[in-house]
Amino acid sequence: MRPLDSRLLRYASAARRFLLIGALLGFAQTLVIIAFAWLLTRAITLTVAGESLGAIVPTLAALAGVIVLRSALIWLLELAANRGAAQVKSQLRARVMAKLAERGPDWVATRQSARLATVVTTGLDALDNYFARYLPQLLLTMIATPILIAVILWQDLASGITVIIVIPLIPIFMILIGRATQSVQQEQWQALQRLSTGFLDVVGGLGTLKIYGREKRQFDRIRSITEEYRTRTMKVLRVSFLSGFVLELAASLSVALIAVSIGLRLIDGALLLGVGLFVLLLAPEAFLPLRQVGAQFHSAADGLAAAEELFAILDDESVATAPTIAAVPGHSALPTADAAATAGAPAPAALPGPGSGALRLAGVSVRRGDTVVIDQLHAEFASGELTALRGVSGVGKSTLVAALLGFVPLTGELTLGGAAVGAGAARPWLAWAGQRPGLFRGTVADNVALGAASAVPKAAASTSAALPSAALTSADPAVIAQALNWAGAAEVSPATVLGVNGEGLSGGQAQRVAAARAIYRALVTDCHVVILDEPSSALDADAEAGLLDGLRQLADQGRVVIVVSHRPAVVAAADHVIELQELIHV
Amino acid sequence: MSDLTLDRSARDVLRLAQPRPRWFAPGLAAGTTSAVMAVALLACSAWLITRAAEMPSLAFLGMAVVGVRAFAIFRSVFRYVERLTSHDAAFRQLAELRLGIFRRIVPVAPAGLATTGRGDLLTRLVRDVDDLQDLPLRVVQPLLVAGITASLSVVGIWLIVPAAGLTLLVCLLLAGVLGTLFSGSLAARAERELAPLRGALADEVLEIVENLDVLTAFDALQPRLEELARIDERLRRATLRRSVGVGVQSAVVSLFAGAATLGALYFGIPELTGGGGLLSPELLGPTLVVAVLVPMAVFEVFGMVPLAAGAWRQVRVSAMRVADVVPAAPPAEIPVDVVDPQVLVSLNQADAPVVLELTDLGARWPGQRDPGVAGVTLRLAPGDRVHLAGPSGAGKTTLAQTLVRFLDYTGSYRLNGVEVRLLAQSEVRQVVGLCEQRPWLFDDSIRQNLLFARDTATDTELNVVLTRVGLADWAARRGGLDARVGERGALVSGGQAQRIALARALLADFPVLIVDEPTANVDSAGADALVRDILTAAADAHRAVLLISHTPVPDELVTARVTLPAHA
Repeated sequence: MRPLDSRLLRYASAARRFLLIGALLGFAQTLVIIAFAWLLTRAITLTVAGESLGAIVPTLAALAGVIVLRSALIWLLELAANRGAAQVKSQLRARVMAKLAERGPDWVATRQSARLATVVTTGLDALDNYFARYLPQLLLTMIATPILIAVILWQDLASGITVIIVIPLIPIFMILIGRATQSVQQEQWQALQRLSTGFLDVVGGLGTLKIYGREKRQFDRIRSITEEYRTRTMKVLRVSFLSGFVLELAASLSVALIAVSIGLRLIDGALLLGVGLFVLLLAPEAFLPLRQVGAQFHSAADGLAAAEELFAILDDESVATAPTIAAVPGHSALPTADAAATAGAPAPAALPGPGSGALRLAGVSVRRGDTVVIDQLHAEFASGELTALRGVSGVGKSTLVAALLGFVPLTGELTLGGAAVGAGAARPWLAWAGQRPGLFRGTVADNVALGAASAVPKAAASTSAALPSAALTSADPAVIAQALNWAGAAEVSPATVLGVNGEGLSGGQAQRVAAARAIYRALVTDCHVVILDEPSSALDADAEAGLLDGLRQLADQGRVVIVVSHRPAVVAAADHVIELQELIHV
Repeated sequence: MSDLTLDRSARDVLRLAQPRPRWFAPGLAAGTTSAVMAVALLACSAWLITRAAEMPSLAFLGMAVVGVRAFAIFRSVFRYVERLTSHDAAFRQLAELRLGIFRRIVPVAPAGLATTGRGDLLTRLVRDVDDLQDLPLRVVQPLLVAGITASLSVVGIWLIVPAAGLTLLVCLLLAGVLGTLFSGSLAARAERELAPLRGALADEVLEIVENLDVLTAFDALQPRLEELARIDERLRRATLRRSVGVGVQSAVVSLFAGAATLGALYFGIPELTGGGGLLSPELLGPTLVVAVLVPMAVFEVFGMVPLAAGAWRQVRVSAMRVADVVPAAPPAEIPVDVVDPQVLVSLNQADAPVVLELTDLGARWPGQRDPGVAGVTLRLAPGDRVHLAGPSGAGKTTLAQTLVRFLDYTGSYRLNGVEVRLLAQSEVRQVVGLCEQRPWLFDDSIRQNLLFARDTATDTELNVVLTRVGLADWAARRGGLDARVGERGALVSGGQAQRIALARALLADFPVLIVDEPTANVDSAGADALVRDILTAAADAHRAVLLISHTPVPDELVTARVTLPAHA
């Protein structure tokens, strides 16, 4: 284990700042330690020499001043360390979240979301101890220890040499024992990770387990997991505490050696009491930072292991995320208006509005890893029409939708009204509802108007691009009601408050609220294309009919409406049905 | 540090965290010995040097030389023993702690836990339970070790210079009280803020990570990341406020350590020239130096106390939060088994056919005012295949949850004429099975996800049941029974997850099987086959099936239809 990962300094500027401040404070602390030992020695030697209290009072006063200064410096160093930790955690968290946003949903879907969340929250907290306890001592080791050794050498060569012989043994032991524990440490971190998802798996699946009368067996499972955790951790601790033991033993034995040697030389009169006492007081201080570094070794290892996981995410450049779309010559930009198709549209839009023409796929291929899921697909989805997209399970419907959304790179031509779209991740022309409702805490209205604050409303797009932002942030209750209505969810009150994961709605209601969200986006931002993935799988016939009515109205406004579904009602209502064929892989 | 603010439930949680004395005592004994030896090492060294400066014969110093070396060695040895034994005790207790908490969750799950955010639950059960380990390690043990060592030292110094002993006592008390109070008043509020903020942050992170597709598609990611940054900022501020307090603690301890040293000098100097101590008629230089230097060593040990107080505050918050998320007593809407053996009856079904009867049944979710379902009357006999329909929100799922006793009921619910309230829940669930609308798949292989329904099943039986639910080809393509399903079935599509869950239910061979919306997320061609499979299986096994589904079911497959009316 490296005591300090250079990537920490690279990714978190707060870490650099802390090291600088900490070094200055550490230097000041060293001076104060020396002053304290010197003044205390002086007071004692004066006393033993029989001086009166009055003669010693100035020394005591100076000592009092040093004591106050020492407290202040201790406070400042702790403050700096805690601030540094909090700021570094924030910086790293922000960087990782930005990275997740950049890598996109498809990349995240290949990882365990709970694990990612743990790494960014509780995992990062392991850095607290790294900063608060380990780094300051590391700094003091590099600053205080050399200065104190020099002072001891200057005062008493024999004691200085003892310290110099013992001190290098400590890092050597640290490295030896550190190497031995390194692999075990990483195992422990992995065990902790497994535990975090394993325990959640048991608690989250408790309903299922109870149905099968298996809840009682989980006691054994939890016990064995925890017992495994204990044995694993104790295995690590036996070794890492051993390093602590060796360090403490080396430090206190060398202080003992120094004390005995000073005592023997004092008997001979070869040394003054003042020098002996001064060195005796300084010697433990020279060892203290190193001992602390050793004592905090495993908190440092935990912190660095947690950071390691973050750096792995930050450094991961394995998959290219930007979808690559072959540009259509002469159509590098979106059309401002398409005269043939804008009949009925209120105003020419800067973005593709209703009537921008058909969504056309020409030779579109999508790969996932090494597998070609969609191969050379040619398809056209016409304006003003409702198209049903179907195909057997696993044929790649969801992959195609993900590619249209820009989550998965696709090759080939994707054009909307003749203009190439889809380069980059932005999809201002597309509104979508997935198979999973994906609802959030908050009201139904908040959920339906998701993204309304950042989206560009129709009015703004058609009149001016420079509207005050306040005008963009308010959701329109009338449009929300209309969207819910068109999704066949008129009975769901926009004021209903949802819990995490949309708790509070039935499966069918959640699905229609998700559909309403797509409809709202289509209405407010004038998205030309609406894609709904299995929107009616949990709906009864009445609700499904309501939703299909709404989708028909969206299509009648000139939009391209695509519904991935097998439901006969959907297929019956569609103007076109596109059947995805299974690829035969040889 | 009063226990007054802790309710009984939180105190029960804390009791779970403290290892039993048999595990705890060895660590305490070793820790105290090590701490006392650390003080003795400095005292002995100081005495040795000062006495040596008086140039006595070497023989006078023999004992001191031996003492210095012995204390140096055994101090480290006992410290090592202390750390090993106390950590081992805490980890042994962690199993008890987790089990104790889980024991409290089991009776209320899943219906009683529905309102808790998943991210928050994760934080609570992983982080708070782990934090509770600090109770023995960072609170009880340091307080006892520091208390014993400090008391012994105060008595020792008092014997040498009574005034210095009293000064040390006062300084220790002030450092302990002021250090704790000062940092407490500054940081307690911030600390109380930390755990909920951490929970909020974890919830936010999880919601963003899980719904990244939705947020990206709706251009809503940026505002959410900004919201996350705001929560992060609040957490950071709270942490910074606390750090001011943490620093004050150490500074105050250091200040009073210095004051004790100064006090020993101030009171000791006149005694050296003037009077004598309690030990000898005349105070000698070496003894005085011991009295001056020992406070430094004592305070090094005593530095644990304010830290222990800080750790105690966090442990307390964790305990309260754990007690909060899992109430000691289940809410009224969650059924509790009858414990009186006089009242508790047994079904004695032993392969006998089971008849399920509902009369005017109603049920309510915890925390809701209105019933989720009401006025249901229904009879299910072996061979029955009933299709239960009804608009969304009519309470179809509530009914399913009630039939497997996740929710308590009003009215009457009888199995073979026995009121179900009088039966053990586990017995009801042996008879009445449920295939959930959102089946939970465990992060394991297909085999393990099937086996827990019937762990004696052979691979052949598993493959047969996979064929019945139409997954044989799919499983074979994925690499057979060992293929993993991923976290919450991430590697499996919605329809496939439903089929695995159905296979589980068929393996368990319940006499009464409730299937809650099996065709959600299953394509319509497959849905028909699925419905057919379920109903065919029922006919084979003299089983009653209640199929909850919004999709139409062909007449020849069902024996009866029930429609739940919509209710306001």
